[in-house]
Amino acid sequence: MRRRELRERVQGLLMVLPPIGVIAVFIGFPLGAAIAYTLGKTGGPNSVVSLIAQRQHVAHHGVTIDAYREMLSNPTVREDLWATVWITLVTLVVVVAASWAIALYLRLSNTWLARAVSSLSVVPLFIPVVIASYSIFVFWGPDGLFRTIAFRIGFHGFPSLGYTLTCVLLGEIWVNIPFGVLMMSSGLNGVPDALIEAGRDSGASMPRVVRSILWPMNVIPTVIVATFTGIYVLGSFTVPYLTGPTQPNMLGPTMSNFFASFNQPQQAEVLAMIVFVLAIGIGAIYVWANVRASKRAGQIS
Amino acid sequence: MKRKLSAMFGIALLAAVAAIAALATGSNAATKHAAKSVTINLYASGDVNVQSLWQDHLIPGFEKKNPGIKVKFIFSEHGQNDTTTLARIGAAVKQRKWPGVDLVDAGIVTTLAIDGLDQPVSKATSPNIKLVPKALLTPVKGKAIPYRGSSVVLAYNTAHVQSPPKTLTGLIQWIRANPGKFTYNSPNTGGSGYSFAETVVDSTLPQDVHNQMIEGYTPQLESNWKQGLDLLHSLNGSVYQGVYPNGNQAVLDLLAKGEIWVAPVWSDQALTALKSGALPKTVKLTQIASPSFTGGAAYLGVPKTARHKAEVYKFVNYVLSPAAQTQIIDVMSGFPALPLKYLPQAIQNQFADVSANTLRRGYSSKMQSDFKAAWQQQVP
Repeated sequence: MRRRELRERVQGLLMVLPPIGVIAVFIGFPLGAAIAYTLGKTGGPNSVVSLIAQRQHVAHHGVTIDAYREMLSNPTVREDLWATVWITLVTLVVVVAASWAIALYLRLSNTWLARAVSSLSVVPLFIPVVIASYSIFVFWGPDGLFRTIAFRIGFHGFPSLGYTLTCVLLGEIWVNIPFGVLMMSSGLNGVPDALIEAGRDSGASMPRVVRSILWPMNVIPTVIVATFTGIYVLGSFTVPYLTGPTQPNMLGPTMSNFFASFNQPQQAEVLAMIVFVLAIGIGAIYVWANVRASKRAGQIS
Repeated sequence: MKRKLSAMFGIALLAAVAAIAALATGSNAATKHAAKSVTINLYASGDVNVQSLWQDHLIPGFEKKNPGIKVKFIFSEHGQNDTTTLARIGAAVKQRKWPGVDLVDAGIVTTLAIDGLDQPVSKATSPNIKLVPKALLTPVKGKAIPYRGSSVVLAYNTAHVQSPPKTLTGLIQWIRANPGKFTYNSPNTGGSGYSFAETVVDSTLPQDVHNQMIEGYTPQLESNWKQGLDLLHSLNGSVYQGVYPNGNQAVLDLLAKGEIWVAPVWSDQALTALKSGALPKTVKLTQIASPSFTGGAAYLGVPKTARHKAEVYKFVNYVLSPAAQTQIIDVMSGFPALPLKYLPQAIQNQFADVSANTLRRGYSSKMQSDFKAAWQQQVP
C-alpha cells in the first residue's frame, strides 16, 4: 500500500515536472535576472544589456535601490503611475458594470434585441487592437464623426478627444467589454432556470432574485472579469500609445520610451516591476476569491 | 505490457528516421551552400520607404549582377526590433559567434560602431568606399559606411502660408503668431520632431559645448540644455492642442488633413508622400537657416563576426556604385553618399545646394538618448 502511494506521488511529480521546468527556464530565470538588474546587479545574465545601457545604478557590494528611488521621485513618472491607476480603476468599474448589465439583460429577457446587443458587444474581440485604437482616435479626433456633426449643427465648442486620457479610457473599455460580456453571460447562464422560477414563485421581486440568487452564484466570473481586465489595462501599450497625450500617459508607453528611446533599460525594468507588483495585488484578490469559493463548496478545508 | 513495448519501439524508430532525415537534409543544404551560392543576411529598419528601397531596387539589382550571391532581407518597421538586435549582435560579437546578421542598415549602426562591435572600414574590400567623403567617417570612428543621406526640412501648406519663415527665430515667431497651426512629433518617437527640438536647443548653446555633444558623451554638459528646453516648454500653448503626436507619420497626417500648416518633416518621407498623393500638392518643403535642421548620413555596419565578408563588401560596393546611388535618389528622394563629381550630370544639377556631407550633424547617439529623456521631463 505504501509503495503504491509513493509510486503515485512520484508519477504525479514527473507529470508536472515538464511544465514547471518550462516556467522556471522561460519565465522564472528572466524574471530573476530582471529583478537582480533593477537592484543594481549588472553581471552574469545582465552583462550584455548593461554594456549598452545608459545611466545605470550599479551595486558594487550587495544591492542598491537607487534605481527605484530615481523612478519613484521622478515627477513625470509619478504622473504616469497615477494616470495608469485611475484609468485601470475606472475601466474596471465600467467594464464590470456594463458586462453585468448586458449579461443580465440577456439572461432575463431572451428577445432578439437582447441577443443583438450581446452579439454586438462581442465584436471588438475580432478587431485587432492597433486598428481599433486608430479608429477610436479618428472617430473622436479633431475631424471625427461627433465633432463634425456638432460643428454642422452650429455647436463649435465640441471637444476633440484625440490625444487625451479620456480617449485612452474609451479605448480600454472598448477593448475589454467583450471578455467581460462573455464571462458574465456564461456565468449567468449557469444559473438553473428552476432556481429563478422557485424564487419568483415564492413571491420574490426581480431585483430580489438578482440580489439573492444571481449575484451570489456569479461572484467568481465577476472577480475574474475584474482582475483580468485590471491586469490587462495596467500593462496595455497600443491603446495609450496611439490615442493618448504626450504627458502624462500610461506606464506602457513610458516603459517603452525608457527602454528604447532613452536607452535606460534598468529604469524601464523598474517600471515593469512596479506594474508587476500592482498586478500581483490584483492577482491576490483573484486567488483569495477562488479559495473562498472552493471553501464554501467544501473542496478544500 | 507487450503492446506498450512495441509502441515505444515504434516511437523510437520513428524518431531515429526523423533524425537521420534531418541530418541528411542538413548536409545536403551545406554542400549546396558551398558549391553554388552564398546567402548574406541584411537587417534594415525604418519606414516603408527604406523597405521598398532594399526589397524592390537594391537587392534585385545586385542579385541580377552577382548570380552566386543571395541577400536575405530582414526588415523591422520603425526599428521596433533595433534594441533586441543590438543586444543580439553585442552578445554574439562578445562571444565571437555569428550574430545571424551580416549587414545592418539602422540607427543602431552608429552605436555598434562607437562600441567597437563593427568591422573598421579600413578592412573593407570595396573600392567605392574610398570615394566616400572622409568627414562622414569621423562621427562613427571609421567603423560604419555611409550610403545615403537625409535631412529634416520645414513643410508648409501654401493654401494658408504664402511666405514660410526663413530662420529658426522667424519660425518660433510664426508659431507664437499662429497658435495651433504647428506641431512636431515627440522626439522619442521620430527623427523629424527630434531634429526640431535639438535645433531649438542648439541655437542657445555655446559652440564648444555643442561640438562636444556631437563628438562624444558628456553628461555633465547637459545642464546647458535648460534654456533651450524652457523655450520649447513656452511653446506648449502654441502647438496644436498642446500635443506632440507619436511618430513622424502622425505629423504628416495632421499636415495632410490641414489641421496644421507648418511642421518639421523628413525630406525623403515627405517627398515620397507628395509623389504618392498622401500629402496634397499645396504642401511645399524648404530649409530654414541659422541654424538649419539636422540631417545626416544613414550608415551600413558589418558586425565583426559577420560571415562571408568578401561577399558582403561586394554588396556594399554595389550600393555605393553611381547606378545604385542614382536609384536611391530616384526612389527615396534621398541624398547621395558619394561626392557629386562621381554621379551623372542630371543628379549634379539637382543637388547643387545640398549634399550629405554638408548636412548639419546631430548629437552622438548616447547624447541623443539623454536629450529625449530630458525633453520628456521638461517640455510637455
